[in-house]
Amino acid sequence: MSFVWRKRWFLLLFPLLLAASVWQIRVESDLNVFFTATDNEDSRLLSGLLKSGELSRRYLLVVENANGSNPGNEAVHDASSLSASAAMDAFSAKLVVKLAQIEGVENVWAANEPPREWIDAIRTYAPYYARLFSLNPRQDGSALFDPDKLGSRAEGLKQALLSPQGGFVKAIAKQDSLLLSLNGFKDMQNQFQRQANLNSGGGALILQSRPAALDSDAHLRLQAAIRASFDSLNQSAGEKFRLSMAGVPVFSVAAQTEISRDVTLVSVASSVAVTLVFLLLFRSFSALHWVMMVQAASFVLGTLATALVFGYVHSLTLALGASLIGICTDYPIHVMVHCAKHRHPPLDAVRLLWPSLAMGGLTTIIGYAALGLTGFPGFEQIAVFALFSIFASLALTRWVLPALLAKSTLHSAHLPGIAAWAGFCGRHRRGLLSLFATGVILAFFTLPQLRWMDDMQKLAMDMDQLKQQDEAVRSHFSSIEPGRFVLVQADDIETALRRSEAVERRLIMLKQTGILSEYHGLFPWLVSQDLQAENAKVYAQALTPQFQEAWRAGLVKADLSLDKLGRLPPPIAEPLRPETVLASPVRHILSGQIIEGQNGAVLAIWLGEHDPVKLAEGLAGLEGTRYFSQKDQLDQLAGQYRDRSLLMLAIGIAVMGLFILLQQRNIRKVVLTLLPSVASVLFIFAIWSLMGEEVSFLHVIGLLLSVSLCVDYGIFFMDNRGENSDVTYHGIAASTLTTLASFGALGLGKTPTLPILALSVSLGVTLGFLLCPLLIQKPTR
Amino acid sequence: MKYGLWLLLVLWPMARLANEAGLAELLGRIRYNGSAEFSYQETRKLELSSSPWNGRGMMLSGVDGSLIKLQLQPMRVIMVSTEQRMYYWDPEQQQRHSALIAQAGAAGEEITLFRSIIQGHTERLQSTYNFTHQVHGKAWTLRMTPKPGLNDESAPTIEISGNEDDSKQQVLIRQADGESTEYLMVKTAEGPEVEKSIRRLLLEAIGD
Repeated sequence: MSFVWRKRWFLLLFPLLLAASVWQIRVESDLNVFFTATDNEDSRLLSGLLKSGELSRRYLLVVENANGSNPGNEAVHDASSLSASAAMDAFSAKLVVKLAQIEGVENVWAANEPPREWIDAIRTYAPYYARLFSLNPRQDGSALFDPDKLGSRAEGLKQALLSPQGGFVKAIAKQDSLLLSLNGFKDMQNQFQRQANLNSGGGALILQSRPAALDSDAHLRLQAAIRASFDSLNQSAGEKFRLSMAGVPVFSVAAQTEISRDVTLVSVASSVAVTLVFLLLFRSFSALHWVMMVQAASFVLGTLATALVFGYVHSLTLALGASLIGICTDYPIHVMVHCAKHRHPPLDAVRLLWPSLAMGGLTTIIGYAALGLTGFPGFEQIAVFALFSIFASLALTRWVLPALLAKSTLHSAHLPGIAAWAGFCGRHRRGLLSLFATGVILAFFTLPQLRWMDDMQKLAMDMDQLKQQDEAVRSHFSSIEPGRFVLVQADDIETALRRSEAVERRLIMLKQTGILSEYHGLFPWLVSQDLQAENAKVYAQALTPQFQEAWRAGLVKADLSLDKLGRLPPPIAEPLRPETVLASPVRHILSGQIIEGQNGAVLAIWLGEHDPVKLAEGLAGLEGTRYFSQKDQLDQLAGQYRDRSLLMLAIGIAVMGLFILLQQRNIRKVVLTLLPSVASVLFIFAIWSLMGEEVSFLHVIGLLLSVSLCVDYGIFFMDNRGENSDVTYHGIAASTLTTLASFGALGLGKTPTLPILALSVSLGVTLGFLLCPLLIQKPTR
Repeated sequence: MKYGLWLLLVLWPMARLANEAGLAELLGRIRYNGSAEFSYQETRKLELSSSPWNGRGMMLSGVDGSLIKLQLQPMRVIMVSTEQRMYYWDPEQQQRHSALIAQAGAAGEEITLFRSIIQGHTERLQSTYNFTHQVHGKAWTLRMTPKPGLNDESAPTIEISGNEDDSKQQVLIRQADGESTEYLMVKTAEGPEVEKSIRRLLLEAIGD
């Protein structure tokens, strides 16, 4: 095809591709998708909890007086504090009503009291009173069924019927005159009482949101709506109050905001830096605009292909993908350097360099493929993106760029110091090689001191201010820790319930010893058939004629109806089945504690403040039970990623070597081609060892990328297709500069991932570039 | 019982006015400001009780709309309702409860309704209750019945009666399920001293 038609086709297809990508692509911003692997049961569980876990979707809201005084923190003794407390109550009540109307709010309630739905749900348990009154029926039965206490219990029932809760108690007493079903819920009442003591001034609210915790866009809108509702009410109240929020979604929105900022910053800085380097080298706006169009087309093709493979493109892929512009620009740059230096037409230069370009592209693709196999889910997408972008860039450089550059005038790209460094290496090769060999030996000795980063939190964004706010808000709540809980697993729900009841009995003991402040289990919302049968047996045994007579005497003494309350029927024959419970509104109450597992049932028991080590010890020996710490799980994942990254680094280098061997058919050349990049990796590890830098899997991944890029330099230097090593080294220098410009831009990001990658890649390519003329003897072709 | 307490105090001034003017005027004028203390006798007929229950004590109404029922017999119990919150304190059983009215379900909704009476929002009453009044000589009766077709089937019927002595009134609240509460009330005091008592009892109920 003639140059004219190649150019026409490119100019026609490029806008069409652009339009297709705008039309087709769905950009995902859910961080969970990018950061959390789902390749094993625990990872899936962690991912699920982060994504849609009950506690992860929960906001903790605190309304306080704008002047800083909180009625809950003072003794309520005078009229003004009483009035302040009443004003806080009034404001909170109005806020609850207003917040409940917001789309995306599942439920909102004052933290001191159970939501109304819970009270209504408790009422439905009355018919099953004899089957779920106690977690330890044999132990509690003696006190619960003591005939001597029945008189006072009848009197208590009378008072309850006369109290403001009379309507609620009456509905239960008509089916459960001993109020046994309420006994099981005693702990829940105590939990709310503790919360009330902690937050006596009111103003603490819990808001259960609908969107998944890491759906940042939805939570951004929700948080804006919450603040707008608060502001409008507060304006009416004379700006007397202030609102603080905490919860996982607050962090996810902050992280998303930072990432969006990073995406924009990195994309713009990377593009500007590469453009400036390009202009500095070639001083041709015409060539710049054609090369940029080629890169833009490669970027669009990569994006489209990623969208087709995954169904979406993550915003972080686009951010990191922007750095690929610098890599893909390498191919046209090598062509243009040769055009400019040798005054070759672009087509001749492309034909001459094509084997090196293709092999360089292939090794870079291998590097990215290895990156995709490290197990970090976000990098799988980046690998696919890179594969298609690099492939497109290579193809466009080979078949389209010569047509586009046909009329462009290129100036000779001369970089000061390049020839001097190559010359210096040539003149002092022996001495420098000795120095290099010594360096390699010393580097090996430093490696055992390398410190690995095992705390994944260190890779998280710096959010100190948010963390302080989070702590301040959580001080108003009786704490349930969202990241640590007890997991109970079994093949079926009945076994899982039996095991979770055993865990709860153990947790009660741990509470008594002070190891645990509180916990939220499933009893009595869901009770195993075994425990129901045991409760029923204890109840039936207690139901002696003497007991029944004592109860009737108590009722008579309390002036209560013998007809309606005097008969104590045997336990209901049919047990309360999990499917019945989960078909009722109780499923909302337990939604965060019953986790869908691939292999049977998984139940979660939430924990309050606790000593992790002692608690884990306390649970030892319980079948199917383990203490789950989100942080430990993440740290374990970080370790897995690190090991896999190191493996992939080794495999990546080996595969690159294999392909180079296939092309060169000379093992010495293969070794020499790989040596600059491998040596630079070794030196960088040594530098980190000496500096005491904590090395994470991201550092390793950065080095993997640098190897895939540096190997290109080795290939070009070894091939030296223009038969002029100065020109070849200039081409390599130019591509190093663009790589540094694009990856250096990642260093501007606030997300720690980006500066780590920037540092690793920049160090790797710089060292690899400098080592090329030293380690690969000046070719003589 | 609490529900009855509210009705009692809220409708007390209404009853007085009803005797003097027509219903329209009565509804336009129902608003009670100021502090007042009443002694009361209460008779409750509960579905689960074998005989009527009798109690007596004091009721106090504050200028801010708060109501306190201090039950003195058969045992001392304090029940408080402020604008947003209800408190319950039974010293003998050591039972102390507190609840936001907004979160108290049906009882909370009823109290909100009666608060609207105190604040003079008669339009809300007219949408849910039919009002009738009868006068026989010096005796009068005001009857409020839930409008048919309302979703709230548990809404009670309320009857307030009295005579020429404005300080004595009788209030009868009949629940839809057949339970009833009857109050005989005599105003015993009003003014700032009542506010002091209200604050003292409120603090006791809160637990300070």
